[in-house]
Amino acid sequence: MNKKITQLKQELSKAVIGQETMIEGLLIGLLCDGHILVEGVPGLAKTTTINAFSKALGLDFKRIQFTPDLLPSDIIGAQIYNPQDHSFSIKKGPLFTHLLLADEINRAPAKVQSALLEVMQERQVTIAEETFKLESPFLVMATQNPIEQEGVYALPEAQLDRFMMKIVVQHNSEEEELEIMRKGASKSFAEVQKVLSIEELHTLQKALEKIHIDKELEQYIVHLISATRDPAKFNLASITESIMFGASPRASIDLYKAAKAKAFLRGNDFVSPADIGYVVHDVLRHRIVLSYEARAKGVSADEIISTIVETLPIP
Amino acid sequence: MKNSLGKLLLVLLCSLWLNAKDFKHHFTLSNTSPYVKEAVLMTLDLSQTNRDKVLFFHFALKKSPDYEFHRLNVKETEEHHTAQVHYEYLIYPLRAGEIQLHFNLVQKATTEENLAYSFSGDRDNVKGLTTVDTQIDLPPLALKIKALPKGTSLVGDFNLTHSLKTNKAKAYEPLPFQVTITGSGYLPLLENLLPENINFTLFKEKPIVNAVNSSQGTSSTVIYSMAFSHSKSFDLGPIVLKAFNPKTKKSYELTVPKQHFDISKADVKSLVDKIDSPKPVKSDLSWLTTILTSLLSYFVVFGAGYLTAISLKWKKKNPAQTSHPLKEKIEACTDEKALQQLLMATDSKQFALSIEKLEKGLYGNGKINFNKVKQEVLEMLK
Repeated sequence: MNKKITQLKQELSKAVIGQETMIEGLLIGLLCDGHILVEGVPGLAKTTTINAFSKALGLDFKRIQFTPDLLPSDIIGAQIYNPQDHSFSIKKGPLFTHLLLADEINRAPAKVQSALLEVMQERQVTIAEETFKLESPFLVMATQNPIEQEGVYALPEAQLDRFMMKIVVQHNSEEEELEIMRKGASKSFAEVQKVLSIEELHTLQKALEKIHIDKELEQYIVHLISATRDPAKFNLASITESIMFGASPRASIDLYKAAKAKAFLRGNDFVSPADIGYVVHDVLRHRIVLSYEARAKGVSADEIISTIVETLPIP
Repeated sequence: MKNSLGKLLLVLLCSLWLNAKDFKHHFTLSNTSPYVKEAVLMTLDLSQTNRDKVLFFHFALKKSPDYEFHRLNVKETEEHHTAQVHYEYLIYPLRAGEIQLHFNLVQKATTEENLAYSFSGDRDNVKGLTTVDTQIDLPPLALKIKALPKGTSLVGDFNLTHSLKTNKAKAYEPLPFQVTITGSGYLPLLENLLPENINFTLFKEKPIVNAVNSSQGTSSTVIYSMAFSHSKSFDLGPIVLKAFNPKTKKSYELTVPKQHFDISKADVKSLVDKIDSPKPVKSDLSWLTTILTSLLSYFVVFGAGYLTAISLKWKKKNPAQTSHPLKEKIEACTDEKALQQLLMATDSKQFALSIEKLEKGLYGNGKINFNKVKQEVLEMLK
């Protein structure tokens, strides 16, 4: 199976240079049926990556640019009146796809965000009186720009919790940028070929279940999550004041699944503490609500997670 | 025969004159030979005779240096076709001999329609009354005025009182003095109340006059307020006012006896003010203080904010310049597990290879050189 993953990565590298973090995050999301929130400045190949994914997997791909005047019906669809035969028909929205890029999700008001996030959770859409199940896989990759704060609607914490991981995309290294520049100028990016079918993807997802995780590591995951809620209990009194709300039970599930997926992607059939360490920041950083004092001091969620990981002994 | 014709012509002329007038008038005088400044009550009654017209009248005495007058009353009926007006005037002759009272009378004739039209207006749309005005020449009334006894300064029945608070003062201190003349008759207003050739400084006010005119004459009270000042003692000579009462036709005198005023030397030291009263005006600089305080507060707050921002920079810079916390922590690690835990916490992909090596040592069969791995990690941080 790892051969398929390697092929997929190779195929993606034809279109996307660098950005391993984002690619790996998307792979984990696909394998675990989770959704990914990507934070990064514009021009970091977010659209290219998910587009390449759709091609490599032979999946549908749609993109919605979130704007302040967007309506829920613009994404989920609506019932439309046909004057010729005096009947109503359902016009499905762009949500009916396998891979969806919700670009700049925080530019749309809360009612549109809610409509999308509810679909992400339920994986079904109700238009008028009809309910439609979404095809599997269904992965939403939402993006938000960290530098613009004017005219944006911050995602509520409850909705952020529905994203399995929050990937922070950084700029490419200078070597990678040089390659991007050369390939971009000569238009020599190769066409991405389909290397994985939906059935094969489902097989990979099932294979994930077989990945072994030790009871001690399960306990370790629970301790990591509990430490965000009650740091003092884990000898982390120094960060108690920095946390307003800790991670939810959904975080435990997602960290458990993500650690397994990470182990799988590394070619292991068991989860090691390092697998948890690789994904813990991505799974928790959007789930920890910082206190006012922490924000005033410039303390980030990543710093808090690092402190927890550094303090809790690994099995 | 000649007499008969003359009488007939006179009757005819009188009849024509009477027919030409739409009203009749009647004057009365309380006294036709009064003394100078003796009150004379004059009345005039105008009575409409032509009932076909609507009449109004405008009557006034003409001003003259020979007499002074005050209108006391005007009574008129509101009957438009039978107008009756009664005027009352109080007249004071001002010179002896024969004087004549001249009048100004205007007859204003109009119609019922004009009157109704004028009433139809309102506050915002005043409609004037259109009248046909006719100047009526009333013959003047003659008065034979009798002269007053020589030296008379007041005419009427008056009393004189005076008041003096003190007759002792220090040099140049004012000595208030008041003379009050009360009674009925021509208004007792005198230009020079005090005797001539006074040898002190006189301060005087305009006399206060309270007078009421009536058909009986003028009742009045005139108060003369003044003050004297001098550097040494002085005398105020007696004030003698010669008055004449026309009713009794007798002269009498109103007097204020001679007054002596004792003036002592002033204490020069006490005249010099030791305390400013009122206090000297100081320039109000409170606005400047307010501005300076506000500016100072602004700079303090700005400075505090600026220093806080700078201090944050120092806080961030200094640890980096002096030490590397991660490096120190790595150096302090004594086993593989501790180092792996530390590298996991960094969330840095650059340590992925080192983590894998440590994993092999911990969970795999392979043995690793811990110090070598540690050194590799430290090399990466350089």
